[in-house]
Amino acid sequence: MRPALFLHVASMSARRSLSYRADFWIQAVLTFAAELGLAWFLWAGMLAASGAPTLGGMGFEELVRYAVLVALVGKVVRGTELEGAIAQEIYEGGLSRYRVYPVSFFAFKYAQHLGSLLPSVAQLLVFGAAWVLLRGEAGLEGITPATAAGCVLALAVGNLLQFTLAWPIQGVAFWAENVWSLMVALRFVGSLLGGALLPLGVWPEALRPVLEALPFRYLYAFPVEVLTGHVGGAALVQGLCVALGWTALLGWAGAAVWRRGDRIYSGAGM
Amino acid sequence: MIEVRGLAKTFRVAVKEPGLKGSLKALVRRRSVARHAVLPTTFRVEEGEIVGLVGPNGAGKTTLVKMLAGIVHPSAGDASVLGYRPWERKDAFRRQIALLMGQKAQLWWDLPASDGFALLRDIYGVPRALHAARLDELSSLLEVGGLLDTPVRRLSLGERMKMELVAALLHGPKVVFLDEPTIGLDLSAQRAVREFLLRYRERHRPAMVLTSHYMEDIERLCSRLLLLREGQLIYDGPLARVAEQAGDLKVVRAHLKPEGVPAPEALRALLAPLGEVLEGGPAQVAVRVPRTRVAEVASRLLQVLPVADLAIEAEEIGTLIERLLARRQEGAAP
Repeated sequence: MRPALFLHVASMSARRSLSYRADFWIQAVLTFAAELGLAWFLWAGMLAASGAPTLGGMGFEELVRYAVLVALVGKVVRGTELEGAIAQEIYEGGLSRYRVYPVSFFAFKYAQHLGSLLPSVAQLLVFGAAWVLLRGEAGLEGITPATAAGCVLALAVGNLLQFTLAWPIQGVAFWAENVWSLMVALRFVGSLLGGALLPLGVWPEALRPVLEALPFRYLYAFPVEVLTGHVGGAALVQGLCVALGWTALLGWAGAAVWRRGDRIYSGAGM
Repeated sequence: MIEVRGLAKTFRVAVKEPGLKGSLKALVRRRSVARHAVLPTTFRVEEGEIVGLVGPNGAGKTTLVKMLAGIVHPSAGDASVLGYRPWERKDAFRRQIALLMGQKAQLWWDLPASDGFALLRDIYGVPRALHAARLDELSSLLEVGGLLDTPVRRLSLGERMKMELVAALLHGPKVVFLDEPTIGLDLSAQRAVREFLLRYRERHRPAMVLTSHYMEDIERLCSRLLLLREGQLIYDGPLARVAEQAGDLKVVRAHLKPEGVPAPEALRALLAPLGEVLEGGPAQVAVRVPRTRVAEVASRLLQVLPVADLAIEAEEIGTLIERLLARRQEGAAP
């Protein structure tokens, strides 16, 4: 797909995702408030119950900041366009309209996906700034222009990884009537093993190498670790390479699933 | 432009036994059966031709269109559209075809149609000046120039379909597939779409394949008919010849004066030997008869009934098609 067309599709998708302003603000504010409140009470309770000053090497302030950042980052990585939308298009026959376009469906949907991230990016910036205002210098600890740039890179790679991770699963819709449960399972497993539910530091030491080798860390924990200065230099490059390796592998698997599915696609109904 | 040779499609369809036992069984093992959507079919469509693809629901019309547009892979046979095998989906092929599905929109619901058209310009790589000229031509033919900046969701169904037509034709396709383009539209919108398609065909001469359940679409737009029943092509020929194939029948209709009409039973006995009685009075009678007996039956009605007005009507194309379909179903020779 030509870059100009890619940008055009992404821009249309962004405009569409911003066309429901009330929904955008209600969803943004309520979700942020809920996530902040949950993190606050959860980690305060956990620390009090354990009697230890830190959990997984993080104090209360850092745990709450991690929870807020990982929630905002998770939205940017996941977006809104992908939650079963492609599987739905296969199931309902909406895929047919893209098949007559002289463009790659994968590239078209990825451009749409990126465009739909704009509200999530806006939320990350607005609520990130709100957090800094609320917490003062403590909110900015470890964050520099260099770590922010590294985070943008990690987010871009994480986003592509998330898309290619969902791609073969959505392709299952060629055979199954509903892949919603698979998507939910992916989200839950990804959140658990990727550090969205708990910081990876709370997992047993022996499991850490496994978590680092799996793709899920690069969706959630990794961009936050890069932003807060816990990962940088060689570790940043190594992490990006692992994420890109998974992206290539999953891209290959997705292409194989879609090639086979393509032959049995019926366009919904006869 | 379109050449189809023995093209066929068979789907595997999951089946489940009824009841709770069937549901439990299906959890472990799901059975599927082969459903023949299109049986081996052969035909050609030339440049500038509008061919009507007609048949009852489930006859295989849409599946055939989907194969020719490259959306669905066939199970057997071959096809060439503009020299390309459609399901290989070469970009050069896709740039020259259009598919309009009456029940599926391609424009973006939340954005104005003009945004969707600009995206299509980039998708098909149409130069800006040419795109503007085509948009101007199509929007004035369809009288939607003033609605281009209105979000698609705020348009009426008829306006939306007109916009979908613009979207389908903006890249100047040489082959156009129209699947139920007038479905759900009111009469005036149907007429506007039909008139537009005729004018567009006159100007640009694309090959068009049209499926529709509205016989007026077929009658007004198509000179040739492909009749499908249960996946089988049972008729391929001029629309005008359908009457001959279905049996050339006419309806003799007489409006009666109030005085002197026989009693209902006597009237029925009088009409029955003449032909198939469609209406049996007391104000009006109508009898379907072979064309060769029209004069005889009209003369008989004038003799025995107090006729105020007499009309000899050709049957509607829809009725003829229905009869043709029913006759083939019974295995009768054409």
